[in-house]
Amino acid sequence: MRRFTVILLVLLVSASMTCFAKGKAEEPTGPVKLMFWTHEDAARAKLEDGFIKDFQEQNAGVTIEKVLYGSTKIQEAILTAFAANQGPDIFNMSIEDEYAYIANGRVAAIDPKVLGLSTTQEILDTYIPNVLDPVTVKGKLYGLPLELTNWCVYLNRKIFRSAGLDPDKDYPKTWEDVMAVSEKLVVRNGDIVTRRGYDFRYPYYLVDFVPMVEQLGGKLISDDGKTVIVGDQAWLKLLEYLREWGPHGKNLGSPTYKAARSLFNFDKNEIAMASTGLYQQGRMRTDNMEFFNSKDWMVIPYPQWKDAVKTVASCYYGHYYMVNGQAAPRTQQTAWKFIAYMLKHPVDYLQQVSLPQPTKQLMASEQFKTMPFSNVFAEDMGRAHIVYYGANSAKLQELIKKAVEGVMLNNVPGDKALETLKKDAKELFSGN
Amino acid sequence: MVGKLPARSSMRKRQDLWGILFAVPALLFFSVFSFYPILNAFYTSLFNKQVLSLAAPTFIGLKNYAYLLQSADFWNSIRATAVFTLGTFSALLVMSLLLSALVSQTGRSRKFLQMAYYSPAVLSSVVAATIWLLIFDPRGLANQAVNLLMNTPGVDHDWFVNPAMEQLSTMIVYFWKYIGYFVILCITGMASIPPSIYEAVRIDGAGRWQTYWRITFPLLRPTVVLVSIMSMLQCLKTFSTQYLFTHTGAPQNPINVITLNIYNTGIRDQRIGRASAMSIILLVVMVVLTWFQLRASKSEEVDY
Repeated sequence: MRRFTVILLVLLVSASMTCFAKGKAEEPTGPVKLMFWTHEDAARAKLEDGFIKDFQEQNAGVTIEKVLYGSTKIQEAILTAFAANQGPDIFNMSIEDEYAYIANGRVAAIDPKVLGLSTTQEILDTYIPNVLDPVTVKGKLYGLPLELTNWCVYLNRKIFRSAGLDPDKDYPKTWEDVMAVSEKLVVRNGDIVTRRGYDFRYPYYLVDFVPMVEQLGGKLISDDGKTVIVGDQAWLKLLEYLREWGPHGKNLGSPTYKAARSLFNFDKNEIAMASTGLYQQGRMRTDNMEFFNSKDWMVIPYPQWKDAVKTVASCYYGHYYMVNGQAAPRTQQTAWKFIAYMLKHPVDYLQQVSLPQPTKQLMASEQFKTMPFSNVFAEDMGRAHIVYYGANSAKLQELIKKAVEGVMLNNVPGDKALETLKKDAKELFSGN
Repeated sequence: MVGKLPARSSMRKRQDLWGILFAVPALLFFSVFSFYPILNAFYTSLFNKQVLSLAAPTFIGLKNYAYLLQSADFWNSIRATAVFTLGTFSALLVMSLLLSALVSQTGRSRKFLQMAYYSPAVLSSVVAATIWLLIFDPRGLANQAVNLLMNTPGVDHDWFVNPAMEQLSTMIVYFWKYIGYFVILCITGMASIPPSIYEAVRIDGAGRWQTYWRITFPLLRPTVVLVSIMSMLQCLKTFSTQYLFTHTGAPQNPINVITLNIYNTGIRDQRIGRASAMSIILLVVMVVLTWFQLRASKSEEVDY
C-alpha cells in the first residue's frame, strides 16, 4: 500500500509539472483577444477606454481586455507573467524596467507595414532625435513611446510668500539654494517636520540623483563602460549633502516622509517644492482643480551646484508600449495596430492627461507650447540625457538607495557608504 | 478462525483503498502547490537562471549555495530573520498564553474580547502594514502616544530611521496581527481540558494561580507546542510588512529578512536560481527547527 501511495504521489507531481510546463497557445484563426496591462492613471484610463471602444467597433472580432496595476506593482506582475510564459500581449513600463525584455528577446519588433509605413526609418523620422534609441536594436524597433518625461521643480508660491520669500526672485537656482531656502520654509513641531521646503524623489536615484553627480564631473558608468561609480569626490559631495539634508543633519526631509509629489497637489501647507513631470498637471486637475486654476504654483528648472562643471538636468525616461514576442503573429500585428491607433492621438494625451509624446509634430505644436510651463520642461530636456537603462539598472538603483539610506538614516560615514557602493556595483557588473 | 482471516484482510484492503481515494484531493493539492514547487525550486537552485532569459540555464551545481554562504547580504538576512523571529515568536507565545488565561476568566465580555483580539487576523497583511505605516509616520499616532505618555512633546522616535526601532516596528505589526489568532488557539486548548479536573482541584483548595501553573499550563502543552511551531514558522516566513515598509522609504538593511531577499533577488535582480537556493535554505531551517520542537515536546505528551 505504501508503494502504491508513493507511485500515486510521483504520478501527481509529474502531472502537475506537465500542467505548469505548458506555454501559450497559438491562435491562427478566429477572433483576436488582446490582453493589455498598464499602470493606474485615472485620466489616461478614461482616455484609453474610449480608444479601446472605438478600436473594437472598427475591428470586428477584436476584443481588448485592459488590466490596471499600481505603478510599482506592474513591474513584478509583468515579470512573473513572462516568467511563466503568460505575459500580456501589450504592456508599458519605464525604459529602465523594460530594457531587459528587449535584451532577452521577449518582445516583438514592429512591422512598419502594420502602421501603414514602408520602413522603420519612416517611424524614426516621426519622433524627435534619439528618443527611440533605447528601443532600437540592430535596426529593429521594439517599442513606441507613450510619453517622454523629465522632471522639473513645482513650487507653491503661497508657501513661499508665507515665509516672507518672493517666489519669482527667491526660487532656488542651485542645490545650495535649495537647502538654504528649505531651511526658511521648513516648519517643525520639535523634531517632527510638519512642512517641508523641498524633498527629493527618493526611490528614483537614477533619474533624479545621478544628474547631481554628473554636474560635479562624476558618472554612473565610465565612457568605456568598464568602471561603475566614477568620480569619488562628486559622489561623496552628494552623499554628504544628503546627510546634511536628513534627520541627522538639518532635518529638512527624508525618505520616510510621504512622497513630496503626492502631497503637492493638495496645497495643504505640507510641501513647498516637489520634483515631478509635466504629467503632474493632469493629476493636479483631477486632485485639486481650484489649485490648478490658481496662480499659486509655478515650475522652475532642475537646480545646478554652485561649482558645477557641467550643466545637466534631471534625466528623462520613456514609457514605451511593447508587444509580447511570444504571442501569435496575428495577435502581435493586431496589438501593434491598436497601439498605433492609440498613439495617433498625441494631442488628446497632452491635453487630457498631460503626457507629451515625443513626436516632432507635437513638440513643435501650439498645444504643447501653450501648456503651462512647458517651456521650462523643454529647456531642461535640452540639457538632459536619457536615464541609464541596462540589464542591471534596477539593481544598480537599489545599491545607490542603500548608500543614500545609510548616510541619511543610519549615520554611515559617506566614505564608507561610497566604498560599499563601489564594491557592490563592481561585483554586479562582473556578473556575480 | 482460520477461514475468517482472508475476509478481514480484504475488508481492510477495501478500507485502505477508500482511505486513499479520500486522500487523493489533498495529495493532489499538496503535489501541485507544495511538493512540485519545492522540487522545482531545488532543481532551479542548481542553475544560473535568469527569469526573463529564453536561453537554456547553465548548470552550476551547488555554486549558488556556496555564493550565499559567503555573502554578507545573505548573512544580514539571516540576522534580520533571526532577530524578528526571536522577538516576535517569544512575545506571541508568552502573551497568547497570558491573554488566553485572562480572557477565559472574564465573564460576559469574553466573546467581545475574543472578537477584538482576533479581528486584526482577518485583515490582509498589506492592509495591516498600511495602517501601521500611517501610525508610524513622524506625525502619526505612535509618536503622539509615546510623547503623551513620556511627556516629551515634539520628539520623533525615529520608527523608521533608527535600525532598532525599525525592527521593533515590524515586530509590533506582526504581533498585533497574529496575537488574536494564537489566543483563540490557546483558549480552544484550554476548553479541551476536562472540567472534572478543575472541580477536583477546587475541592482540594487550589487558588487561581496554582490552578493555572499546576493544572492548566501542563495540560496545555500540546497546544503550546502547536502554537510555538506555528508562530515560529509564520515569523520565519514574514514578508509583507517588510516589503511594504521598505517600499515606502524605510531603510532595507535592518529588516531585509530572507523572504524579502528572496523576492528582491528573484524579481528585481531576476536571479531566480540564486533566489531558489535561498528558499531551499529557508525550508531546511524551518524543517530542522520544527523537528527540534517536535522532538523536544514528545516526552511531554499529555494523556487525561
